[in-house]
Amino acid sequence: MTTTPAPLDAADDADPFDLHDVEWTAVSTRLTTARLVVLGVWAVALLVPTVLLAALVGVPWLWAVPAVVVVLLVWGALLVPRQVRALGYAERADDLLVRRGILLRSLVVVPYGRMQYVDVTSGPLARRFGIATVQLHTAAPGTDATIPGLPPAEAARLRDRLASRGEARLAGL
Amino acid sequence: MSTALHPVPESAGEEGYDWRRLHPVTPALRGWKALVAFVAIVGYQMADVLRDVVGALGPGRAWLVVLGAVVLVGLVGFVYSALAWRVMRYAVTDTAVHLRTGLLFRQQRQARLDRLQAVDVVQPLLARLLGLAQLNLEVAGGTGSAVQLAFLRDAEAESLRAQILALAAGVGPTRVAPAPVGDPEVGVPVDGAAGAAPGLPGAASGLPGAAPGLPGAHPAPVYEAAPERQVYELPMPRLIVSILRSTPPWVLLVAFVGVGVASIMAGDAGALFVIVPGAIGLGGYVWGRLNSGATFRAAVSPDGIRLRHGLTETRTQTVPPGRVQAVRLSQGPFWRGPDWWRVEINVAGYGAESATESVLHPVATRAEAAVALWLVLPDLGVDDPRATLDAALTGRDDDGGFTPAPYRARWVDPLSRRRHGVLVTRTALVMRSGRWWRSVVVVPHERTQSIALTQGPVQRRLRLATFVTHSTPGPVTPQVEHLDEHVAAALLQEQARRAREARAVAGPELWMRTAAAGLGTAGDVAGAQPPQSPVVDAAPAEAAPADTAPAPTAPAPTAPAPAAPAPAAPAPAAPAPTAPAPTAPAPTVVAPVRPTSAGPVPDDGGRP
Repeated sequence: MTTTPAPLDAADDADPFDLHDVEWTAVSTRLTTARLVVLGVWAVALLVPTVLLAALVGVPWLWAVPAVVVVLLVWGALLVPRQVRALGYAERADDLLVRRGILLRSLVVVPYGRMQYVDVTSGPLARRFGIATVQLHTAAPGTDATIPGLPPAEAARLRDRLASRGEARLAGL
Repeated sequence: MSTALHPVPESAGEEGYDWRRLHPVTPALRGWKALVAFVAIVGYQMADVLRDVVGALGPGRAWLVVLGAVVLVGLVGFVYSALAWRVMRYAVTDTAVHLRTGLLFRQQRQARLDRLQAVDVVQPLLARLLGLAQLNLEVAGGTGSAVQLAFLRDAEAESLRAQILALAAGVGPTRVAPAPVGDPEVGVPVDGAAGAAPGLPGAASGLPGAAPGLPGAHPAPVYEAAPERQVYELPMPRLIVSILRSTPPWVLLVAFVGVGVASIMAGDAGALFVIVPGAIGLGGYVWGRLNSGATFRAAVSPDGIRLRHGLTETRTQTVPPGRVQAVRLSQGPFWRGPDWWRVEINVAGYGAESATESVLHPVATRAEAAVALWLVLPDLGVDDPRATLDAALTGRDDDGGFTPAPYRARWVDPLSRRRHGVLVTRTALVMRSGRWWRSVVVVPHERTQSIALTQGPVQRRLRLATFVTHSTPGPVTPQVEHLDEHVAAALLQEQARRAREARAVAGPELWMRTAAAGLGTAGDVAGAQPPQSPVVDAAPAEAAPADTAPAPTAPAPTAPAPAAPAPAAPAPAAPAPTAPAPTAPAPTVVAPVRPTSAGPVPDDGGRP
């Protein structure tokens, strides 16, 4: 009658976010570069004024500010490659899976029939690195299915694929 | 009036549409609003300027100037509204409602009827006094109403709503009058409620009335409102007590006392003014609850759920079958004694910011809450719906078969851990949470948009995860926190499959036509018989594709409301003797047969 969802894998060490029958596709590693460049821009924007200020004012403890900024930036730089590696998507027969995050992990299942529209966006920096972002929208604003860092050809293929599959399985709300 | 209310086939072309105007009083009502807005804004924002003007001109002349300005603005507002009214037209076709607006910037909007999410008839106080009403058509997407027809005459708004609902349901007009003798097609009675008889050409093709082009005939299809039966009503005393027992007044009272004591201790009365915004806020809250909850009534009809409420501004909402995306039953700590529940719904057309429209019952007793839930979900998909509902509302841990959060979740949620739980039934997902602010969310499987699993760092350490179902914008956000991560992952997989299977059999856009076609018998559009039994009594109906009929077909052993013996639609006298008329009304023919008892129901609970 009613089901009590039982664990599929009895093994406790299995990763629940890594569904056992799913082939994950990773995103392009160029996303790592792009994100590091953005981080670099932030580094310049934050470090130059704080360092100048500390140097000009001459109060020793003011150097703590750029020091903290450096620590945060280094931490971010170390995190970026792992974040990008954690990003992944999988096309199944009836739905698209999107997985991401290390600290705050999430796994979203979007049925093709529920898709309202697909966005492909690519900013100036992303275009320079040859990557694009595909975002799926359903009627629910909470659906957060964004796949950044796709090569443009793959993004276009995914977009068309999603659109055609969505059409085939279209349901009302 | 109704002569102009017949729809035009979409193929007629834009110019062929029957463009109609709104009521001529509209500009006066609208211009008046502009005037009030102007006076309020000027009075509030420019008080200093006004004072200077008065000082410069002397009191007598100043009043003349102010009066002149007000009259001028009123005149401009009125003239603009009048011009806007002149260009504003609407037309109803078989598949859409069209609206043309705009004086300088022309806009033509088309709301497709198969995407219709709700139809509301709203009467603000002034319009009500004049016998006018506003018709709001809601479709998913965007903000506000898709098409707002303000203002129409009362009766016109009602009949237009009946027509739009009938067209959206995919049935023809109730009757076509006057029918010219000798033209059987036009004369066939097609009962909007008792079923679009599939055998009839006129009904099945969905081209009601067939024909302004027929020789000598100019039939006027009449759309009668579908029959409805009231299922509950909110008594005024209960509403007032419920507002007094809600949380905000008490929070504010504590704040008042705190501030009062503080200001007395400090010997400074100035602190008391801090209270003023709070008091104004509270007044707004109380008034909002009172105004929207007063005279609250709900009824069922083949067109779906019909809600009526409002004190100064009355509102009649119609939410067609299958348009409710999620339901929440919630209860604050002070409602626990009388066991009252607030029932809210997500409907795609209403959006996130409309608190008034998204209420299915402002203050329900437990029995009424069960009825409200049944309005949305006739079959909860369990053998004992009452026990399940009780377990959902007040149970904890694994009462009623719920899957609770594991014991180790106490580290992240020590207080309400035992209330977190989820239950998957054949038809819906039931999520339970909250210890002092209890809440139960029900999402029918076929209304699941997308689903997700999330996990924060602490949850990861404790091997917990949160299961989220995404729903359309509205007050209900379905999620279960802190489930065992493997259970949550299994639920994710399972739910993706269930939602897919439920979608495959559900989702009639033209709900009446689909129901009629699926059943194949003229008399058995189940909706013609207002169901008489809440979920607590309903035997589980078998989940067959034919079950997508708009209203359930449950027998009524004990009906909470006066159980009318289902007279269905007042069957229209058939004016055409030549018609074969397979419209044997027989509203109860199939109804008692279908709900088989629990036996043959496929039990997919054992599936991995």
